[in-house]
Amino acid sequence: MNLTIELTKRDFSERFSGSSLGMSWLLLAPMVNIFIYIVVFSELIGARIPGVESTLGYGVYLVSGLLPWVAFANTVSRISTIYVDKRHIISKIKLDLRSFPLFVVLAETVVFVFACAIFLVFLLYFDFELSRQLVWFPVIYALQQLFAFSLGFVLAIFHVFLRDLKEFVTVLLQLWFWLTPIVYTFDILPDYATEYFRFNPAFLFIKSYHNVFVYDSAPSGGSLLMLFALGLLLLGLGLLLHLKLERDIRDFL
Amino acid sequence: MIAVDALSKHFKLYESPADRLKEIIFRRSFHQSKLALDGISFKVEDGQTLGIIGQNGAGKSTLLKILNGVLLPDCGTINVDGRVAGLLELGTGFNLELSGLNNIYMNGLLLGMDREEIDAKLDSILDFSELRAVIPHPLKTYSSGMVMRLAFSIAMHSEPECFLIDEALSVGDAHFQQKCIRRIKQHKKNGGAIIFVSHDMNAIKILCDKVILLDQGKVIVSGSPEDAVNHYNYLISTLNDDGEAVVRDEGLAHSFGGFSARINKVAVVGKISGTDSISCGEAAEIQVLMEANTVIENINVGILIRNNFGQDIYGTAIWKHKERVDVDSGESWLFSFTMNMNLGVGKYTVSVALSSGDTHLDGCLEWRDHAVSFQILASSGDEFVGMCMLEPLIHARKIEI
Repeated sequence: MNLTIELTKRDFSERFSGSSLGMSWLLLAPMVNIFIYIVVFSELIGARIPGVESTLGYGVYLVSGLLPWVAFANTVSRISTIYVDKRHIISKIKLDLRSFPLFVVLAETVVFVFACAIFLVFLLYFDFELSRQLVWFPVIYALQQLFAFSLGFVLAIFHVFLRDLKEFVTVLLQLWFWLTPIVYTFDILPDYATEYFRFNPAFLFIKSYHNVFVYDSAPSGGSLLMLFALGLLLLGLGLLLHLKLERDIRDFL
Repeated sequence: MIAVDALSKHFKLYESPADRLKEIIFRRSFHQSKLALDGISFKVEDGQTLGIIGQNGAGKSTLLKILNGVLLPDCGTINVDGRVAGLLELGTGFNLELSGLNNIYMNGLLLGMDREEIDAKLDSILDFSELRAVIPHPLKTYSSGMVMRLAFSIAMHSEPECFLIDEALSVGDAHFQQKCIRRIKQHKKNGGAIIFVSHDMNAIKILCDKVILLDQGKVIVSGSPEDAVNHYNYLISTLNDDGEAVVRDEGLAHSFGGFSARINKVAVVGKISGTDSISCGEAAEIQVLMEANTVIENINVGILIRNNFGQDIYGTAIWKHKERVDVDSGESWLFSFTMNMNLGVGKYTVSVALSSGDTHLDGCLEWRDHAVSFQILASSGDEFVGMCMLEPLIHARKIEI
């Protein structure tokens, strides 16, 4: 745990080493992004979503899906290459391969928390009505990151043997992003497509965020359970692969 | 204590890493096997230093990596009391952009210390590395020697029960090296074990209590540093021999070679004493009597004097003296080397080599360790300390300023 925290700190100090503003970029970057989404999209362009009165509706819809997605995508893509990226450490010091990637989850969570804080400030500033359902927010996020960690862990093991996986994950995440209702709403999809979307795991958590932020309703228990089950399943698969392949992973690095 | 029992490791060689996945899917073999370690067993007691020697590819690094835990063995057991830390991972996780201090914490945690422990030892690390003045600066502003000093200091302070030391000891300047060696000796005195891998045979002889010689993944000699190093030299000579096969003389434990010429007798005689007990500074003659079984053109005869730690003190050969000697089949020759024995008091051995090449590595006819021994006694004149007498001229004069 000590090491995870230190690796997380290290992650940030590496990211901002040499920059004068340093950690304040964690606030500045989301500030600009959220400004664009909320002010430009909602206020200036006037994008609206059906069923929501507030003029901020679309901006909130967009940001409440986008911020978690960015955390999710970064977590998955960074964990998926972690063993190869950190081979200079892994091949020299005895580390538990299973817990080593945890620092990525932690680091991305810190970034996410900062972004959410900014988001909250914007919402309060514009007097957006916050739903009581927001208590679900941390739960959804936790389940999302469990899923992200497990998926990344499985990919990371394969990545040791199949280096193309890095490119594949990049493409996959981009495709996945557009196949998930983040910038558009689920309702605009043609009927024949909606069936397939139910198989999209990212939809499970994105939908839940939309529920608690925009639609003032509780996330569906089924979705959360499904997400939890998927996360556990992948984690189990990852641990099984690790058990079978740890020797080979270490040999290959 | 470290006990290793029947440790084996083989590497699967794949053309590409993806073949490993193909194996799982198609359930067919896509690799060639290479045995890196084959049934290795040894024990290192507390306070003991074990040396590991062997040629490149003998399995030394693999063994260290398994002891260190970054590779997993196929079978066999390793029992270690306490933490094993290597000086192989010197500076692991160092980031050149970050400050020295920042790197101390990261590296320390990777080496298994926790934050409080590092806090407590920080002063001592800074003192040891002598880098206190530059510690807030990024690592990229350090010289490479300074980076190694920092790395070494952190590793030294991680205080494991067992140190694994690679060639790493050759870092830094002489002053820092001696400091490190003192520190390692202290660690040993405190009951810590050390496993030391090196190609520096002198260092092996000085530092180790026991040495294992690895060849093609097997322990072929396990015993005193002297024995293992001599066997290592023999191995090297078989590797470079062209033509004649190098064999060991079963009757003489310390002899090997092609044996188309043999060393018959070796003696050391003091010019004054007439025996092998020689006073320091006395002239003495080392005589080598040899016999050839075939024609040998331009034979080389060499001698090597070693002290009782097995350290090489002085060696020379007739080629270095521009003497060309051609020996006919059946002839016997006596070679003598006369010199002033300006050596420190103690026991010495002489190793003798006959070869048709420049060193004992090529065209080794016979190499014999411990061919003869002699001792140096204190002379009544000069008193000195150390291994050799340099016969200084000493002046003292008063300077008027």
